Amino acid sequence: MTQEHPFLDDLPAYALGALEAEAAQALERHLRTCEACRAELASYRTVREGLLMAVPPAPPPVRLRGELQRQLSRHQKALPRRSALSLRWSALALVILLLLLNIYSILQVRSLRREQAGLARRVETGQSALAMLAAEGTQSIHIQAGNVSGTLLLNRGRDSALLILWNLPALDLEQTYQAWLIDSQGQRTSAGIFQGEAQPAYIAKQLLAGAALSNFVGLGVTVEPAGGSPQPTGRRVFKIDF
Amino acid sequence: MALQDEIELLVRIARGDQAAFLLIYDRYAGHVYGLGLRILGDEMLAEEATQDTFLKLWSQARRFTAERGSLLAWLLTIARRTALDRVRLEDRRPALSGATDPEELWQVIPDADTLSEETRWRSLHMVVQALPAEYRQVIELAYYQGLSQSEIAAALGWPLGTVKTRLRSAMQQLRQAWQAQ
Repeated sequence: MTQEHPFLDDLPAYALGALEAEAAQALERHLRTCEACRAELASYRTVREGLLMAVPPAPPPVRLRGELQRQLSRHQKALPRRSALSLRWSALALVILLLLLNIYSILQVRSLRREQAGLARRVETGQSALAMLAAEGTQSIHIQAGNVSGTLLLNRGRDSALLILWNLPALDLEQTYQAWLIDSQGQRTSAGIFQGEAQPAYIAKQLLAGAALSNFVGLGVTVEPAGGSPQPTGRRVFKIDF
Repeated sequence: MALQDEIELLVRIARGDQAAFLLIYDRYAGHVYGLGLRILGDEMLAEEATQDTFLKLWSQARRFTAERGSLLAWLLTIARRTALDRVRLEDRRPALSGATDPEELWQVIPDADTLSEETRWRSLHMVVQALPAEYRQVIELAYYQGLSQSEIAAALGWPLGTVKTRLRSAMQQLRQAWQAQ
C-alpha cells in the first residue's frame, strides 16, 4: 500500500470477491482513475480464472443431458432476441397505431359535435314549431306525396313558415332538396335547401324567402344539384297551395 | 476445440441450434458439474446448478466476448455465481472441515483430451500444491465458498489481519508462479 495507491493491498481480495462491500466500493472509485491499479487487478484476475479451472472435473449424471434437451425445447420460443431492426419496426408500428387512434378520436369528436349541433337545431326548430302552434293566426297545412307526409306551419302575420316532413328519402352527396315559395304569378323563389334524414325520420325547416310570406300562394320541393339552383330544375317531390 | 470453433458454435447456439449446444455441453459439462460439486457439496444441488448454468449459456450465448477469456472460463464464472447464489439462497454451506482438504482440492484428474490452455493451468496447480496449507484454506473459503475476509476470520477464528495477509500472500505467490511459466 502506498499513498498514491491506497488500495493496492486490497486488490487480491477484491479479485476473489472477498473484499467487504464498503471497501470494495472505495476501491472501485479509485480504479476509475488509476490505470496502474487496473493493470494490477487484471493480473490477479488471471489467477482467478486459473482457480476456476483447478477444480477436478466430475462426470454429471447421464440424465442431465436429456433433461437439458427437454428444457431447451421449452426455452426455444424465448430464444430469438428481438433485433434492433424489429424493435424499430415495433416502434414505428406503435407510432402509426397512436396516429390512427388520434385520427379516429378527432373524427369521433367531430362526429359528436355534428350530432350535437344537429340536436341543437332540432330543439330550436321544435321550440319554433311549438311557438308557432301556440301563436294566433297560425295555419297548419297537411302535406302528403306518396310516402312523404308532413305539415306546413304558416303564420303570415308573423311572416313565419316552418316545414316539417316525414320519410323524406336521403339523397346522395351530389343532390339536395330545395323548397320554393310560389307567388300568384307562378314565380318560384328559393326558401332554402335541406337533406333528408334517416334518423330521425323527419326534417323541420324554417323557410326563408327574403320577401313577405303574404306575397306567396304555394310551396313546392324539388330535388336539385348540391348547393341548390336559382330556379327549379329537378324532380318535384310535392307542391301545395295555401 | 479452438477458440474460433467455439465462437462459431456460440453463434449457432444464439440462433437456437441444439446440436451446437450439445457439443459444448459434452465438452465442458464435467468441469461445470465438478465446480458445482466443489461449491455446493451435494450431487443434486450440483446437478441443478449445472443445468442452470447451461440454460444461461443457451439464452445468453451472444453475450460472450472472446477478449475477456476462454469459453470455459466464461462458463465456469457463470457456474460459480450460480452455485454461490444457491448457497446464499438456501443459506447452505458445506462443513468447513470436510470441504478444505488441500490434497483433494488441488488434485487435477488427468485428461487425454486436455487443451494447451488447461495444461498451463495444471502447471499453476502444481505450484498451488506447494503453498502452505493455511494459504490454500483461505483461498478455498474466499473463492469457492464465497466468504468475505471478515467471514473467513469468524469461521476460522483467525484475526482479520491474518486472513488479509495470508490471502494476499497466497495470491501473490500464485501470480508469480503463473507468470514464470
